[in-house]
Amino acid sequence: MPIDYRRFNGPEDSVSYKQYTKNFLKSYEELCNELIDENEHRKDGRALDEARTMYARTNMISQAKGSSYVELKKTKVVCSVFDPREIPNKNEFSPLGQIYCEVKFAPFSCPRKRRALVPDAEEKDLSLSLKKALEPAVCRYAFPNYQIDVFVYILEHDGACLAGAINAAGLALANAAVPMYDTITACSIAVIEDKLYVDPTEEEEYVANMTPAKEGINHGIITVAMLSTLEQVAGFTQLGSMDGTCVINATEILQKECQNIVPIIHQILVKDVIHNIDLSEKLEKEAKLREAALNENMEEWKKLLSAD
Amino acid sequence: MMAGNVSIRLASERVNPSVYSGAVLPRFYTPGEVISGMKDYMRGHGTYAEDDCLKASVAGVMQKVNKLICIRPLKNRYVGEIGDVVVGRVLEVQQRRWKIDTNSRLDSVLQLSSVNLPGGELRRRSVEDEQMMRQLLQEGDLISAEVQNVFSDGSLSLHTRSLKYGKLKQGILLKVFPSLIKRRKNHFHNLPCGISVIIGNNGYIWISPNVQDVTVQEQKDEIANSDLQPVNQTDRETMARIRNCIAALVTSKMMLDDTSITYAYEESLKYESVKSLLDPEAMLDVAFLTQHRIKEMTQE
Amino acid sequence: MANLLLSPLEKMYILHGVRDDCRSDGRTNIDYRPMELETDVVSHASGSARLRLANTDILVGVKTEIDLPNNDQPGYGKLEFFVDCSANATPEFEGRGGEQLANSISNMMQKAYQSSDAFDLKQLCIFEGKQCWKLYIDILILECGGNLCDAVSLAVKAALYNTRLPSVKTALLDGGNVDLQLSDDPYDNKLLNVDLAPLLVTLCKIGDKFVVDPSAEEENCSVISLIVGATGNKTNYNIDNKKNESCTDSKCTTIVMNGSGSLAPKTLKNAIKQGIEAVQFLDQALGQALLRERRENVTMKKYSYGFLK
Repeated sequence: MPIDYRRFNGPEDSVSYKQYTKNFLKSYEELCNELIDENEHRKDGRALDEARTMYARTNMISQAKGSSYVELKKTKVVCSVFDPREIPNKNEFSPLGQIYCEVKFAPFSCPRKRRALVPDAEEKDLSLSLKKALEPAVCRYAFPNYQIDVFVYILEHDGACLAGAINAAGLALANAAVPMYDTITACSIAVIEDKLYVDPTEEEEYVANMTPAKEGINHGIITVAMLSTLEQVAGFTQLGSMDGTCVINATEILQKECQNIVPIIHQILVKDVIHNIDLSEKLEKEAKLREAALNENMEEWKKLLSAD
Repeated sequence: MMAGNVSIRLASERVNPSVYSGAVLPRFYTPGEVISGMKDYMRGHGTYAEDDCLKASVAGVMQKVNKLICIRPLKNRYVGEIGDVVVGRVLEVQQRRWKIDTNSRLDSVLQLSSVNLPGGELRRRSVEDEQMMRQLLQEGDLISAEVQNVFSDGSLSLHTRSLKYGKLKQGILLKVFPSLIKRRKNHFHNLPCGISVIIGNNGYIWISPNVQDVTVQEQKDEIANSDLQPVNQTDRETMARIRNCIAALVTSKMMLDDTSITYAYEESLKYESVKSLLDPEAMLDVAFLTQHRIKEMTQE
Repeated sequence: MANLLLSPLEKMYILHGVRDDCRSDGRTNIDYRPMELETDVVSHASGSARLRLANTDILVGVKTEIDLPNNDQPGYGKLEFFVDCSANATPEFEGRGGEQLANSISNMMQKAYQSSDAFDLKQLCIFEGKQCWKLYIDILILECGGNLCDAVSLAVKAALYNTRLPSVKTALLDGGNVDLQLSDDPYDNKLLNVDLAPLLVTLCKIGDKFVVDPSAEEENCSVISLIVGATGNKTNYNIDNKKNESCTDSKCTTIVMNGSGSLAPKTLKNAIKQGIEAVQFLDQALGQALLRERRENVTMKKYSYGFLK
């Protein structure tokens, strides 16, 4: 339900029923041990350093200039990019174009709670991180005084949603033919009990953010966005508590993971172009056929007329 | 990496920056206070007339020139006078003029007709010149100039029609209260340490490396190049030292002119590293020693 | 401070200065400007601190209230950060002008304090599952002259160090409700353990090098900066000043890139290392200042300076 701002809104007092299940009361150790089996395999069968396979497509939303859909197993993200428009309420000339980003969770996207419709702190923070990551990728000098709107909607959240949002936004911007310096890709990593989980699920992220039983154990999440051809880090966020070497190790792994995504994005974009060419060829062929048919008809009519 | 310098002092360890000048404290007036009757005196800045009395409109000290009474506050914006040397920053390029920030109440104006155009010779301003204005001076550029005229609303019209005025190159700008600037005949100083300082009457001080006067036309390309050359290390350190010395004098509310700056610079040399002059105790020390030397000089 | 204008040649001077490791005021790239700190400046707050770093002026007040613990964290207290960019600092902050900046700073602080390695929320527990302390940390920006994040994190740590929670005399469970009795004696209180509380360091990239503690002019010359938050060190806050205690390494609690530029991976890694080191120096200096002030307090020599003088 939309919130009425004119009146004082009390705290929402309904809670997720999951709080009353056995699962909810599990201790940190139990949760930790559940994540991984004795063969170092994660719950979904992946190895620690194995990212989920990414599925992506463009032209998800027909009315947007460019749009994309990215799926990492159960993390599902839709992104749309609209035509540049003049910056609203601007008061001075800005030589560089601006990017406006909005990340929104669907109300039913998270396993632990229902998301409110009003943007909360986490969503605002994601929007800001997305904006900062996209800025170095887009040729902003090409549209001074204009802004590009990027809207990201997270349909299902199963970890790595910032990385998903950046990948989706990069793809949608390319699909919208916004000039860019490089393909932007992102990936995240969760650190739990000194172990590195590449491309974590929501459950793994939750444990990574939890307080470990012992002090001084590395834990947390790192997300890196890369412009791989230019070898530049466009976005970097770290959370939790970990020592310098751990951060640097994780960054190196993420760098490679980001590179692995680039061919997928390229493939989609190339396929998109090929598809468009095919489509136009097909249309042209059809048009020719139709024209020939019409010409035939005309000849027939002419004959009929001259016969009269 | 070497240890960076971090100093956190407590409020209880704060040093009082004021330096005893030995001068008799003047009488202070507060807004609304009666200064004198109306009939004998003329109303100047910082005063107003009411009920046949002359009253102060700002807090400050009185200045009397013949029959004219002014009240001068410590922190005022710059009130320009014709012939003043100012340092200003271009805010906007407009039709045939630039808007300049000179720390006055209103923005100042530099007409296209009051600048020296490239080429040097006197000629009519053409339409091309109007279109080239942004190449001459663009937003953010710093200039030194002279006040040509004061309009009735108090805004200033500037000119740069002399070789010593014009666009400023690499250097440091420092902003201080205009009331701390001593009015002198000359506000362009080449200090003995090889640094030149422009003490703008408006409280903007420009510190830059000393450039040799090269006026020969053929060397023009060289000049353009030398603008982009990095300032050498010794000059850079000396400039930073002068910057910190001026900041020390300002913190102790001492008047600024070439003498006080030179003295402060000389006294500061006992602190080997320039950054130690950011320390409040060192700043007070420099200001105190400078004050001492100025007093000695005036007694002689 | 968006409306600061600099000429291209001024920028070039700053750029060359950073390259030659000699900045406009004589500092090297890793020097901070002198700071001034005073704690216990607000009488109605449980803890407070005021920090001045050149022109940047931060006032932090900590208010304590009692709250219900979260269901999934019954043994933990709560910590919340609020930043107010006062229009006193610059007229740009008027209305909702400073909101974005305020949000980003409070978000950053929240993230930096999130891990238990940074701040142990267990010390805010009163009665597990029923009652806990909630600390409202209100940060007021009175003036800004560059390098807000570092100054805010220093002031927050000092204010938390100064925070006193009233002692709990009894906390009994009475028919499902907690019967809580707090001490009336204002001197009967307990201090928080904030030795490990994180500090933020902004590394501003100018040209090819990073500088710490950028002035407003220097911030204007940079398109990208890296903010590194890392935990402090226990030994810095130990009154006995025992050196033999294990000197633990600082741990990163939050790292964020700020600005519209990007960084080469190698530069990023070096900057992270540089940031962690800078946090250690900063923490050491803060620890010394706070211990000095506490000593003055014990000997009753200290009197409040506050905002006058």
